[in-house]
Amino acid sequence: MAEVLHALLERAARNRPGHPAVSDGGRVATYAELDQRADALAGALVDMGVRRGDRVGVLLEKSIDAVACLYGVMKAGAAYVPLDPRAPGPRLAQVLADCDVRCVLGSGDPVGGVEVLDAAAVPPTSRGPVAAPVASEDLAYILYTSGSTGAPKGVMVSHANALAFVRWTGAAFGVTGDDRLSSHAPFHFDLSVFDLYAAAAAAATVVLVPPEASVFPAELRRFVAQERITVWYSVPSVLTQLASRARLSPGDLPSLRAVLFAGEVFPTRYLRQLMSALPHARFANLYGPTETNVCTWYEVDRPPEDDRTIIPIGRPIEATRVAVVGDDGRPGELYVQGPTVAQGYWNDAARTAARFVTDPRPDLPGRWYRTGDLVEEAADGNLRFLGRGDGQIKSRGYRIELGDVEATVYAHPGVVDCAVVAVPDELVTARLHAFAVVDGDVAGADLARFCTDRLPRYMVPETFELCPALPRTATGKVDRRALEKAALTPAAKRQ
Amino acid sequence: MTTADALREFISRELPGGRPVAELTDDFPLIRERVVDSLGIFQLVSFVESELGVQVGDDEVVLENFETIGALAAFIEAKRAG
Repeated sequence: MAEVLHALLERAARNRPGHPAVSDGGRVATYAELDQRADALAGALVDMGVRRGDRVGVLLEKSIDAVACLYGVMKAGAAYVPLDPRAPGPRLAQVLADCDVRCVLGSGDPVGGVEVLDAAAVPPTSRGPVAAPVASEDLAYILYTSGSTGAPKGVMVSHANALAFVRWTGAAFGVTGDDRLSSHAPFHFDLSVFDLYAAAAAAATVVLVPPEASVFPAELRRFVAQERITVWYSVPSVLTQLASRARLSPGDLPSLRAVLFAGEVFPTRYLRQLMSALPHARFANLYGPTETNVCTWYEVDRPPEDDRTIIPIGRPIEATRVAVVGDDGRPGELYVQGPTVAQGYWNDAARTAARFVTDPRPDLPGRWYRTGDLVEEAADGNLRFLGRGDGQIKSRGYRIELGDVEATVYAHPGVVDCAVVAVPDELVTARLHAFAVVDGDVAGADLARFCTDRLPRYMVPETFELCPALPRTATGKVDRRALEKAALTPAAKRQ
Repeated sequence: MTTADALREFISRELPGGRPVAELTDDFPLIRERVVDSLGIFQLVSFVESELGVQVGDDEVVLENFETIGALAAFIEAKRAG
């Protein structure tokens, strides 16, 4: 049997057929049921002409059947492209056109110009496994992330890439068949890879986080308690809410044994609060852009001493090498080499060549991914994240290229000039503030609506400020520093 | 316009998960149907505060008060009366 992601499900279905695989509200699918359902969906996809190497979009709200769809696509030999059901139509169309999907597994609603297979209409019974040919080097999925020019880029992840990550997590966090893992991240976000496949590898149970628990901290606490979640993995902003607003007291959530976070910096103040409320749980910071899934990690073995302590991103995971490329002993760009490093960007050889480099230096042989993240190595060998060398920012764990947002604002016919800056915010890392110079009768609200129709919600600036001109530096570039400063002060209070 | 209608119009027009006003009945499950998500709740709270003139405490941003338009309108009316 090839080393592929869906083999984890098939093995769990053989060894623990009656064990709960996915739990969603009151509904549960056992491993046998999930595997049979995935076989049925794979059969329907093959009947539609899906073949090895094809891409299949999955445009569904999270549910047991959506999980079966991901497996079904892989069983058919194709790569799944998880899509955000909340994304505006033009953004979806851009992604679907870029990766040239064979079809979309959806809810029956039409999706611009693409054949849609209504997942719910696929009969539950299957004629058994489809046995499509597939190799561990084949793509398992493509995850789209914000691109600096206004077009999202697709990160290509092979079965071998994903399995290397899954095997490491199983060992690092001792996931067993008794565990109950939360699934908070949407499937188009790579944190979901841990939830789904670390659970399957151990024949453990993955529990889908219901919508109300993502919105209200008290419901989140109730969910973790009632579902007896043992391993939680999410962006820090959710945990910040849990720490600050869910009124936890020591001894609460006794089942929770591991709290893992990734995607952005966890404000130390809230991490300390959470660690003191949950003294029985272990905490770990996992670091890695989508292109590496996770490449370094740091176990926070005791609560940080004060709020100013910076949590390192730690050391490389198993079989992974990192290099800080800059002047010796100085901060530099983090390069990563290892089995979790992705295959490149779909349909974009130029960007792939720029970021996935071969033999970048005589002492760095082989293939490396340039993260663009500025890091430094501390005396104890742990890496610290310092920032970005470009216009990429994080907000609520989402990675956003400011250029991507600016390109969208520019697309409005009344916009003459624009710049988008990130305003630091303790709870969500950053809020976006757009400055625009307009021609004619255009209001900030018009630009907000224009962006809402074209960008994922988390990329739409919270503030649109119209100004007569953008400040420039001596070299004629937009003075981003001046704008960042201006964005910190409400317009009315500025001199 | 009633409080419920003002909420209905705002949610329909401004939230990314918004639906046509006619679908957003007083007992439509806003959270379960993902009309209001983790970003939308902040927009909704700031609309209630700035446009409807009712301050919402952190501990009042709970499912019971925001589950439906009916529940939220009742919460707002109670605050106004209180």
